[in-house]
Amino acid sequence: MRILLIEDDSLIGDGIKTGLENFGFAVDWFRDGNEGHESLLQAQYDAVILDLGLPGRDGLSILKDWRSRGKTEPVLILTARGDVDERIAGLNSGADDYLGKPFSLKEVQARLNALIRRKSGVVVPEINYKGVTFNPQTRKTFYQGKEITLSPKETALLELLLLNRNKVLSKEMIENKIYAWDDEVSSNAVEVHIHHLRKKLHKDIVKTINKIGYIMED
Amino acid sequence: MKKLNLRVRLLIFLILISAAVFITAGVLSWKEASEKVDEFFDTYQIALARRLSTTDWTNITHEMQKISDKLVDDISNAEDEDESIGFAVFSNDGERIFHDGENGRYFPPFGRKGSFGTERIDGEKWRVIRLTSTDNRFIVAVGQELDYRNEIVEDMFEEFMTPWAIGWGVMLLAIILMLTKEFAPLNRLARQLKQRKGDDLSPLDETDIPGEVKPLTGAVNYLLNQTQEMLQREKSFIADSAHELRSPLTALKVQLEVAQMSADDPQKLNNALDKLALGINRAERLVEQLLAFSRIEAGFDSLPGESSPIDWAQIATQIAEDYTPAAQAKNINLALDITGRAPFEHGNPVWAALMLKNMVDNAIKYSPESATVSISIKYNKIKVCNSNTMVDEDKLKHLGQRFYRPAGQKTTGSGLGISIIMKIAALYRCRVAFANTDEGFCVSILPLKD
Repeated sequence: MRILLIEDDSLIGDGIKTGLENFGFAVDWFRDGNEGHESLLQAQYDAVILDLGLPGRDGLSILKDWRSRGKTEPVLILTARGDVDERIAGLNSGADDYLGKPFSLKEVQARLNALIRRKSGVVVPEINYKGVTFNPQTRKTFYQGKEITLSPKETALLELLLLNRNKVLSKEMIENKIYAWDDEVSSNAVEVHIHHLRKKLHKDIVKTINKIGYIMED
Repeated sequence: MKKLNLRVRLLIFLILISAAVFITAGVLSWKEASEKVDEFFDTYQIALARRLSTTDWTNITHEMQKISDKLVDDISNAEDEDESIGFAVFSNDGERIFHDGENGRYFPPFGRKGSFGTERIDGEKWRVIRLTSTDNRFIVAVGQELDYRNEIVEDMFEEFMTPWAIGWGVMLLAIILMLTKEFAPLNRLARQLKQRKGDDLSPLDETDIPGEVKPLTGAVNYLLNQTQEMLQREKSFIADSAHELRSPLTALKVQLEVAQMSADDPQKLNNALDKLALGINRAERLVEQLLAFSRIEAGFDSLPGESSPIDWAQIATQIAEDYTPAAQAKNINLALDITGRAPFEHGNPVWAALMLKNMVDNAIKYSPESATVSISIKYNKIKVCNSNTMVDEDKLKHLGQRFYRPAGQKTTGSGLGISIIMKIAALYRCRVAFANTDEGFCVSILPLKD
């Protein structure tokens, strides 16, 4: 899952980025409103975390502009103001959810997962597929009832495939989704993760479509 | 003694005054009426006596009946009631020759002559005049019962005073009504105030309030307004403070969580702990500034008393020393020029230091690397400039607003520094000026009257 984070406070931004990466998200973090605005227009994100008090460009105006350009990525806004008006203004401008400061990382993660689930149409919190059970909330994976330890990137890849069952995902697309801009990606990273998934779970869990990509078929 | 309320006191006072006036008027009227009645009847008595004294009483036996009848007739014509007038004619030696047939028979023959006198006759008081007849052979006495005169006076007095008594009653009633009506707005005001909730600081309704009370309601409204503003300031300060604490708290919370989940990765853990320490410093500084700010606000009135000479050179040197490490970290050159007078030379040195410290702190914090921060105190001016810095004109006007920090600050700041500088400057009747100059961005403290 690739997340766009726009937050000007260095400590909060760093904490969210580090924390979410621990949960298996790929996070692109911008402190400046204009840069953040541009990056959503250029890259594919599964969700956006947007602080409202930003330098360069105000969060609400960024949000309005995205929506007017047909961008449908779920947006979670962060507000320091406790007042209802600002939250309503945020929701009216096209935000999908909001979090008032101070919040905890687990809350951010839970809200993001809920937003992404809602977007991909998967409502059940647990995803079951061919003996694999994945909980997006706890990030835990079970195979035939036994817990399997996966690295954050493997978990992210598994989740991506599970949420896009019966769709062929290209290698580039997968790279885009599970890596942030500042991650170093080796040319065969996706192949390595797929290999690990097959080894740890089941060798037929993911099908390779030659030269196109990978698919999980029901 | 408990004072009766104004309305009752006014009423009692008015009743007493008007009663006194009424009684005085009554007494005077009574006197006037009795004088008039006396005058009238005296004239009448004299006329009758004169007439009797010019009569020839020698052949009294022949003419007696005729004269008597005629006189009685005359008197009857003049007065409806003649019983109260009596007369008698005596010879010089006191023999009663003739009388009116009723009271006259008791008149004594001798007594005061030529003028009126009061005599007790047959148990009643009479006013009697005696005249000697023109031929000096007879004495004529004419008298009138005083009770009758008094009755007439009483009748006159009653007739005269009745409308006044009614008028007096009407007047009192009108005064009571008027006072009740005039006092109604005051009573309403009192009720309003009594029923007011403690947090209701809206102004009193001044419609229909009499002009005399307006200064009072005006003063109360002024007080209410002041209190309202103070509470508002207090409320917004608390709200702003709470809001300002949210961001540092979020940073702490988030970094703490990162630290907790990085237990198995020492590098990540250390990084998170460093960030946590940074966050705590930031929160600490904010709390310090909040406390300083609220102390200045709270002590606003008590301050001018604590006045002692301020050693600006010592304060500035100390602050420059304290900030040397911070300046060196950014390769900033700190320049001091304390060669003249400051805009205020007496006051609370702690606050003077707090003001200058905030000025220097801001200058160093918002300075780019390798700039010069200069502190100068001369020409009645305290000036702190940082070179290589310019502040946008539209941001200049927000400076000094509580908690204003231009968005995107990477440095830790509370947004209270300039507010504190301005508050302290105001305490010593100084103002704060911001300007982009050749020396960079300068913050100056100047006397208000300049």
